Amino acid sequence: MLTVALQQGINGLVLGSLYVLVALGLTLIYGVLVQINFAHADIVTLGAFSSYFFTHALGGGYLPSIAVALLVGAALGFLINAAVFAPLRERGNELLPLIATIGVSVMMENVMLAWFGPIPYAFDSPYSDQVIRFGGIFFTAQSVLIIVVSTAAIGLLYAFMKFTFLGKALRAVAQDRETAGLMGINPNRLIMLTFVIASALAGMGGAMLGPVLVLTPFAGASVIVKAFAIVIIGGFGNVEGTIIAGLIVGLIESYTTQLLGPGLIDIVVFALLLLMLAVRPTGLIAERREENV
Amino acid sequence: MSNADFATAGRARWWGILAAACIIAVLPLIFRDSYWRTNLIVCALNVMLAIGLDFVVGYAGQLNLGQSAFYGIGAYVSTLLIMRLGPPFWPAFACGVAASAVSGMALSLFAVRLRGHYLAIASLGFAVITYQVLLNWISLTQGPLGIYGIAPPPPLALPGLPAIDFTDLANLFYLVAGFALLAYMLLDQLVRSPVGETLTAIREDEVSAASLGMNCRAWKVFAFAVGSAVAGGAGCFYAGFVGTLVPDAFFITESFTILAMVIVGGMGTLSGPVFGAILLTVLPEFLRGIGDLRLIVYGLALTLVVLFMPGGIAQALRVARSRLAGSSPRQTAGAEP
Repeated sequence: MLTVALQQGINGLVLGSLYVLVALGLTLIYGVLVQINFAHADIVTLGAFSSYFFTHALGGGYLPSIAVALLVGAALGFLINAAVFAPLRERGNELLPLIATIGVSVMMENVMLAWFGPIPYAFDSPYSDQVIRFGGIFFTAQSVLIIVVSTAAIGLLYAFMKFTFLGKALRAVAQDRETAGLMGINPNRLIMLTFVIASALAGMGGAMLGPVLVLTPFAGASVIVKAFAIVIIGGFGNVEGTIIAGLIVGLIESYTTQLLGPGLIDIVVFALLLLMLAVRPTGLIAERREENV
Repeated sequence: MSNADFATAGRARWWGILAAACIIAVLPLIFRDSYWRTNLIVCALNVMLAIGLDFVVGYAGQLNLGQSAFYGIGAYVSTLLIMRLGPPFWPAFACGVAASAVSGMALSLFAVRLRGHYLAIASLGFAVITYQVLLNWISLTQGPLGIYGIAPPPPLALPGLPAIDFTDLANLFYLVAGFALLAYMLLDQLVRSPVGETLTAIREDEVSAASLGMNCRAWKVFAFAVGSAVAGGAGCFYAGFVGTLVPDAFFITESFTILAMVIVGGMGTLSGPVFGAILLTVLPEFLRGIGDLRLIVYGLALTLVVLFMPGGIAQALRVARSRLAGSSPRQTAGAEP
């Protein structure tokens, strides 16, 4: 019993760290721009597909394919910012960019559907077969890889935000865009950078989620609804809260699968979301931001 | 506007509704094959969904991504009532509408505290939960297998006239379009009454509205109840029209397509979403030859309209009319959410 609980705990943390990668992108963009990129889901999907095609069609290695997915994600983030968010920024409307990216997302999903078809792709990572045994607990080399890569990515991001000039400038823009502009920081360039970083994380997350998920053009959509739940549970715009909430949701998912069945995952996660919104709408760690609640 | 202006506008409105009624009466006579008659009914259903959503999004300013859930709740509640307890269609219809309205009010209890993005995500979560419940509560909804053999609304026997049989697609279209027109007239009355002004005031600036003594919470709950009741009505008709119910018909994508209709038509106007719903239902049918591009069209339309024409068709018509009249476009309320 204890080993099952531990096993599911590890599975949950592995899954949770992938959710954190995806949700962190949403939270970063929200922190800087107070906007939601709905097409974030499809960056995850395209990250997964580019990693799949790099390994299965071009014969590349799995580790380089994660880097490929990262680049694809970054490029997509750049494009979406340039095409949707930058033109709508002057309009100053809170909801229009969200609505526009819903359109982008619907479009991308169906273009992928036309290209890749509805049949799930069998994405085998070479590391999924290598099982490491530790007492009664099993884990695959893939889960070790996921933990290492996502921890490294999150650590690097944290160090970047904390210690580099660009990271400090980014946080300055998040706090007060106008004042930051007066200090000689170009907010537009930093917003672009935020999108690139956020989307690179999502693409990378996609490459590692690919072997876990049912890889169809709609794979990202199932992740993104959980990522939304995570950012709200953690406190929108708050990095630490997002990390904690992401791991919690990963754990909830694996224990729900074990105890109640996989069909109930979304219901449990969103019940928690609605409960959170009712009881503590600012999230686990509240940002000092009042306008949405 | 002077009183005379109001009177002219009021008369123009009644002429518009009369014209719509005439068009509804003529349409099934023009389109005689069952393929196009089916499309007509889908148009009428989508019009109901779009104007219901527009009331919440365009007038009350609450971005609701859960319209698919209210649609599904109306459909499943009325159908399951008829199948399990066997009441006639119309009482079950009333229950379906009421169930949607009540769940809309339940969701709006969150809307009362939340705004903007948070509400959008909460309503999305509500749609996901509803879909998953429909999918997983197999003993009640038969899950992904779906419910088959749902009867259309029973024949309507008016005294002195032959009974109207709703297995005939033309008659069913008259019924659904009639209800869509009724819903339009009701909403139209609402948005032009002080209620509409109150809702737009809350949309524009909630704090000021509250300081003028408006009960913002109550009005948001009201807007959600009305918008989701209309969607629930559409759901009841959908079940009787298609004859089968599967949860996939009420997946969150359906919310996005309804939102696309509202945005493309022009949110914050009632006539706009009507055109938006018709355009986005009919246009993809013409593209069927190139493959199933329906949803690509929806996504593209949604993005392009937000980027380049945020007032949608309604705004385009307004600009065109003022160009023709040679004057500057008149300021009309409600192109922005």
